[in-house]
Amino acid sequence: MDVVMNKTTVHPYSRSVSIIGVGCTPFMYTVDHPETNGLTEGEMYGYAALKAMEDAGVNPQDVDFYFHGEASPLNNSNYLTPNVQIANWFGMKGKASIHHSEACCTGYYAIEEAVNAVASGKYNCVLSGCVEFGDSVAVPDHPYKRSKISMEEFLRTTAWLYDRSYTRSLMGGLNLIYDDAAEWYKRTRGLTDQEMDDTLNWMCINNRKNASKNPLAIARTTYEEIAKEKGFDNVIDYMRSPYNPRMGDFLRASGLELKCDGAAAVIVCATDMVDKYMGNKTHKPIEVLGVGAAACEATTPHFEVNATIEAVRQVYEVTGVKPEEIDVFYANDFIITSHLVAAEIAGYLPYGEGWKYICEGRTAYDGDKPINTNGGRTSFGHAHAASGLADLYEAVHQMRGEAGEGQMKKIPKTAMLRGYGGAQNICTYIIRTEE
Amino acid sequence: MSESPIKLEKVVETFYENLEKGKITGKRCKKCGTVEFPPVYACNSCGSWDMEWVEISGKGKLHSMVMPAPLSMKPEYKDLGKFCYGDVEIEEGAHLNAVVRGISKKKRREILEGKGLPVNVHASIYQRDGYKTVVFDLDEDQ
Ligand SMILES: [Zn+2]
Repeated sequence: MDVVMNKTTVHPYSRSVSIIGVGCTPFMYTVDHPETNGLTEGEMYGYAALKAMEDAGVNPQDVDFYFHGEASPLNNSNYLTPNVQIANWFGMKGKASIHHSEACCTGYYAIEEAVNAVASGKYNCVLSGCVEFGDSVAVPDHPYKRSKISMEEFLRTTAWLYDRSYTRSLMGGLNLIYDDAAEWYKRTRGLTDQEMDDTLNWMCINNRKNASKNPLAIARTTYEEIAKEKGFDNVIDYMRSPYNPRMGDFLRASGLELKCDGAAAVIVCATDMVDKYMGNKTHKPIEVLGVGAAACEATTPHFEVNATIEAVRQVYEVTGVKPEEIDVFYANDFIITSHLVAAEIAGYLPYGEGWKYICEGRTAYDGDKPINTNGGRTSFGHAHAASGLADLYEAVHQMRGEAGEGQMKKIPKTAMLRGYGGAQNICTYIIRTEE
Repeated sequence: MSESPIKLEKVVETFYENLEKGKITGKRCKKCGTVEFPPVYACNSCGSWDMEWVEISGKGKLHSMVMPAPLSMKPEYKDLGKFCYGDVEIEEGAHLNAVVRGISKKKRREILEGKGLPVNVHASIYQRDGYKTVVFDLDEDQ
């Protein structure tokens, strides 16, 4: 018997909803630099929200409601109701909001929530934003000071992602997060240890190449440059060396998220009202065609794989889009393996062949099958809740042809974004530029 | 009218108390026979909430193997000896992520280069700090 997975039938939206504006802060270690040390939740979220409104051409008073996402508000911000604490910062005082928290998947549910709110007909224009200080915690009883979060403290709080009744006690689910997907891929596709290791390394190399072209990314020095500096002629030799130690059974240090601080936001509105909201803005709205979602609690074997299969099935079924129509793919890859596994399950890369595309560099921003053109979690950075909307920010810029140095050769028309996190939610959606 | 089978029941506490008594228990669906392990209120296969306690046989199969590493090792796990993490299917049908003792890197290689997965395992009650839990052991003939 296989793992039990109950399935959901998703129905089309009651009305079409489009993305008209996006905003994003740089992903950064705020505490490390005098010019950013002391930034607050209201300032970070507020910046992303106002940039999204400016981009959309809307005034804060045009926005009916906002969603707020943060993965760890209690520990990192000392807030129980983080949406309310920032309410006065971006011109929407008095308007209602709600906070949601799905750990690393928060920024993908940010789209699900906003689109549902408009598609239902209740609101016409909605803001959805996320903020996270992944690298620091609020100093209690001080108005703005923060202190670096130690790895020990971070791991103490990430333990809260797992079920207390059984999962922590059984010890399996919480420890499989690092390597389960790699084990599954290697076994089911028949890779050698060396092929699997090189595939993980090439994802990191490609991610970093993408980030090197992105001014908002946190790590922009390419692995080729780092390898050369350390005296290696060949980048893959460096990646296989003790400079890049094994942290998991398969996972190396380069394949781990760079946890950091950041915020991102999006404005969505009813598609038939874009002219009213966008005023004199000339960029094309981007329609959210559909969202698929599933979850596997961490004691469920191959949680990421099983939940991704179900979520992807839903989103293709409800949108009618075919895998070959996807022009660019984003995967939340705080464990680098996600990047390969998600893209192959989604059919963006062919079954059993995805690892070759990666090792040949075809998934870099300038290849024919780009993934995570902003650098993903290992190079753009991971401000936990905010990462999903940062990926959307990047996707929208690619689709408008506004991605600068990191612009894909062919401007993508259709994109899929797959969120993952929170032990474990999967939320995946397809967006398309309107004609 | 018959009494509702839905009870505000301390399933978790009972599961751990049963381990103290040397019994590994799950909940069986009275409607479709699926065994939920670890035990919960309702059947995830058919949705019925009419469930009964059942002792599991302890026999199982291991379908995947991941070795502990710096990120997935804790000082208190040292007492487990050589072990891996993996997908365990118990004889009654449920799958769960669990710890399987008796698997070293060398043993994993032998299994993968030999007859392959799955391999037979059996459940054991294991003392952690303040409570007992369930781990699995590789069968001796594997
Ligand atoms: Zn049943």
